Amino acid sequence: MSIEHPTKLVPRAPEPERPKRDWRALAVRVGFVILLIVIWQIVASAKIVPPYLFPGPMKVGAVLAEKVQYDIDLLKKAINSNTPPQPEQPSLAISILKSMGRMGIGYGSSVIGGLILGVLLARSWILKQTVGTVILSLQSLPSICWLPFALIWFGIDDKAILAVVILGAMFSIAISTEGAIRNIPPIYLKVGRTLGARNFTLAKDILFFAALPELFGGLKVGWTFAWRSLMAAELVRPDSLGVGQLLDSGRQYNDMPLMLVAVFTILTIGITVDLLVFGRIEKSIRLRWGLER
Amino acid sequence: MEINFNNVSKSFVRKRNGQEERFVALRPTTFTVRSGEFFSIIGPSGCGKSTLLNLLAGLETADQGSVEVDGRRVDHPGSDRTVVFQEHGLMPWMTVSRNVEYGLKLKGIGAQERRETAMQYLRMVHLSRFADALPHQLSGGMRQRVAIARSLALQPSVLLMDEPFSALDAQTRDLLHDELQRIWAETKTTIVFVTHNIREAAYLSDRILTMTGPPGGIKRIVNVPFAHPRAKSSPELSTFTAELHQEIKDEVDRVAMQELDADWNPLTSPKRPPRDVVAPGEGI
Repeated sequence: MSIEHPTKLVPRAPEPERPKRDWRALAVRVGFVILLIVIWQIVASAKIVPPYLFPGPMKVGAVLAEKVQYDIDLLKKAINSNTPPQPEQPSLAISILKSMGRMGIGYGSSVIGGLILGVLLARSWILKQTVGTVILSLQSLPSICWLPFALIWFGIDDKAILAVVILGAMFSIAISTEGAIRNIPPIYLKVGRTLGARNFTLAKDILFFAALPELFGGLKVGWTFAWRSLMAAELVRPDSLGVGQLLDSGRQYNDMPLMLVAVFTILTIGITVDLLVFGRIEKSIRLRWGLER
Repeated sequence: MEINFNNVSKSFVRKRNGQEERFVALRPTTFTVRSGEFFSIIGPSGCGKSTLLNLLAGLETADQGSVEVDGRRVDHPGSDRTVVFQEHGLMPWMTVSRNVEYGLKLKGIGAQERRETAMQYLRMVHLSRFADALPHQLSGGMRQRVAIARSLALQPSVLLMDEPFSALDAQTRDLLHDELQRIWAETKTTIVFVTHNIREAAYLSDRILTMTGPPGGIKRIVNVPFAHPRAKSSPELSTFTAELHQEIKDEVDRVAMQELDADWNPLTSPKRPPRDVVAPGEGI
């Protein structure tokens, strides 16, 4: 009853279809943003509102260029004198580095803590009822409300800001991790076990990947929470030297263009990380898993 | 290789209208599956046929009695009793070949040998061209072929199949029946096959265990008196199927009498096949 099978070269299976980039949608989006900027310039040039209250895009662009130039000079000086840069006015680059450094530590700790907490919540009934309930209720408290406590506990220190970031993101990550684990289709558990996987191997090879699409979605939301908490904390806390503080120093100097530069910086970082980093990875996971075409 | 169910029973606690109640899935059951046999289990829904298979797979443990494969007591899942489920359960993040290789990897077999074995079994189900494809790029029938290859690659003492073709369209199912017949003849693996499709069971099996319930239990074991391979459309097979069908229908009617409103009865009910079985004449 056996059948002759080819043993030599066989044609490869078709490659996964890469979705074509939708140029039309991209053009419409970019076009709309350009249109907005043009309208903004027209309204600003009409001087209905005094320019110091509503500067146009040209003015904001000029201040941005000034800021970038200032940072380049600062860097040159630092390299020449071989000392750390000593800015006399708020520096865009230092603000960004400062904020991103805090995100690295704060978000990184949130991910580690949130994943561990999430796994524990999914595995233990008693933890779910006790710690889980507390986490759910704390989650409804805007994370910036922790700042007064953090300032008293940790002093005017980076620790206070980090505490706000971690409290803002970790619980959200823990809750979504728990959900991701609970939503693993039971078929993968059954298949894994009947193929001989047990305990840690089962968790590492099967359950982790089965949960990954939802798990990653939770990490993405966690990033957004962390970023918002950080901006709020930096805005409120004096001398934090982050992008949030750049915005507040603009307010102190009555420098509306600087405030807008700060806002655009915050937006740019948010969009870059959200869409280009998290968005891309999420998309590639969903494509591979066949959840999206 | 022999499978023995010795006085095996199983019950679950289930919630109904907020009340916890004990639900007997399987009354004490004793039977034997012979080595190399194609053994089917049929019966209406809720008769415990999937419970029986899960007990054999080791996914559930019996309340009483013991399940033995080759004289060894089953108490956990193992790669000597692989399962093909109704949902293919292919890991979407692994290529077709990696899916087939995964169980071999757990056994500590090296990459090269793993790949060769996987290709051998993918050729058996005629999907070697798709070794590097991802599961979502395959059709339902192809996925089920991969699931079969994955289970067979571990060379289990018994291949368990839990309604493996129920989710497929009639044509694909026909195709896979013939493939399964051929694979069974080639590998001589013992197969325990759970289905609610009576023609499917009649076409493929050496012996058929019919079940009643709930509460689930054995009705009888039927010998299928025809040699393999069989002609699917032969009148003998149709007659045999019709008789078996009537037997199951009585059981379905009995359950319906208990579950449905009092104004329902099997004589006045529409002349449609009961919801859980496929009538003779309908494609398998």
